[in-house]
Amino acid sequence: MSDLHLNFGAQPHERPDDDEAREARHQVLATLLGAYADAELPPETTSQIDAHLLGCARCRREVELHAAVHTRLAREPFVAASPALRDRIIQEIAQARLLSTAVEAPAQRPWWRSNAVRIGAALTLAGVATMVGVSRVRAVSQPPMRASATVTATAVPLFATILRDYRRVTASDLPGRARDLDAVRAAVPFPVQPLHVAGASLLAAWSTDLNGEPAAVLAYRWHDKLLLEYLVAEPVFFRHPSVRTPVAAGESVTARDGAQGLVAWAAPESGAILVGDVLPDELLALRVGGTGH
Amino acid sequence: MPGSAASLDDQHARFQALVLPHLDRLLRFAQRRTSSTGDAEDAVQDTCVKAWISFEDLRDAEKARPWLYRILRSVLSDVSEKSDRRRQLVDITRLEQAHEELIGGDTDLVFSEVAARLDSEMLARALSLIPEDFATAVELHDIDGFKYHEIAEIAGVPIGTVMSRISRGRRLLAGTIVANRRAWGLGTQDGARPGARLRLGHDRSTQ
Repeated sequence: MSDLHLNFGAQPHERPDDDEAREARHQVLATLLGAYADAELPPETTSQIDAHLLGCARCRREVELHAAVHTRLAREPFVAASPALRDRIIQEIAQARLLSTAVEAPAQRPWWRSNAVRIGAALTLAGVATMVGVSRVRAVSQPPMRASATVTATAVPLFATILRDYRRVTASDLPGRARDLDAVRAAVPFPVQPLHVAGASLLAAWSTDLNGEPAAVLAYRWHDKLLLEYLVAEPVFFRHPSVRTPVAAGESVTARDGAQGLVAWAAPESGAILVGDVLPDELLALRVGGTGH
Repeated sequence: MPGSAASLDDQHARFQALVLPHLDRLLRFAQRRTSSTGDAEDAVQDTCVKAWISFEDLRDAEKARPWLYRILRSVLSDVSEKSDRRRQLVDITRLEQAHEELIGGDTDLVFSEVAARLDSEMLARALSLIPEDFATAVELHDIDGFKYHEIAEIAGVPIGTVMSRISRGRRLLAGTIVANRRAWGLGTQDGARPGARLRLGHDRSTQ
């Protein structure tokens, strides 16, 4: 602030009784008196204001006001963070650390560029799975979502696990032989209904486990991208408050981690998490526009 | 986030040493901007996780506290639309008029005494009634103890803007207190006297 060059005295062309000019000077001063009271002005500016204050009761009152407000606010007591919050934070950071060391995300390339064989295999699987799956798609109208809550992906263990699995799966061929939906349904204790989204087709379906919890995975081709939808049991889905709270309020949950976007919502007796190398908002729009479970 | 497994334990310990001592202050700042302690704690937790993820961005350990506040403000901005904290902003003109009466009027009551009787709940209420940018600048300086250049860094604005926001913020805050002093049961001992007015201190001189 050393570039402040101010003149708070009466100007040569100004009559002493020129209230308007005096008021204008006070307006300029008003923006500086807080910094003056806080000793945040350079010495030369401080000296100028000191001189002005000698003859200006109004500005002295203004400085008093700043001091009074500051004095009261400075007395505001601390709120001690609970030991439980500290523990939670340490735990979350430890999980984030484990995630970073366990899986260094591979360089993300569009899945269809991996090689021609993969494309062929995927499309073959698409045909099989679509034939099996599409006939079972139940077009159930979704209630309109009110909003979405954005969370830190790594702060929700379920999301971190799913992102890790997504990266593992998309770094190579889609898992083994795709099972048909009946086999997937038999493997998990909750309903499995594919999304019915314009521009998206079901490529494959398989079951897996996420930290020991059964999950169904549905792979979709959406335009030129691969999307994976994870379906997990209700207790798993609602475990974390960052998910539970917004979902209870009728919202979806979105997250982003690097190139991956994620949107999660409650499904019948389960929770659905849609992941892809897509912005969360795009996934959300897809989810809103789609029908299914 | 640190990528070398060999250094992770050290980094983790360093991170905790730099961040955990500031949890109380972060929580207090978050509490003034959320509707519940749980929401404030979630915001602080998200802040710490984001801070860990971007820990490598912190070049100067001396700047850990403003760095954390900057992240916290970003986290809070994500949820601010859900908060009703700012739903009842009062007419700024009314606050400025109250301030003008305080500064320029012939008053009877002592503002500093009134301000001293303001409890934490009233203070939070008063801060919620002035525009967020002004309130934040005042709070960061007067409650959280940041210098102007640190506030400029946290808010991402020039230092002149910080100066202006603090000055105007305190004036509006004083105006809010004056305008609400009767509704909040404030005033000096003679404050119950009908028509009693407020003054700043004992300086009754005029220009």
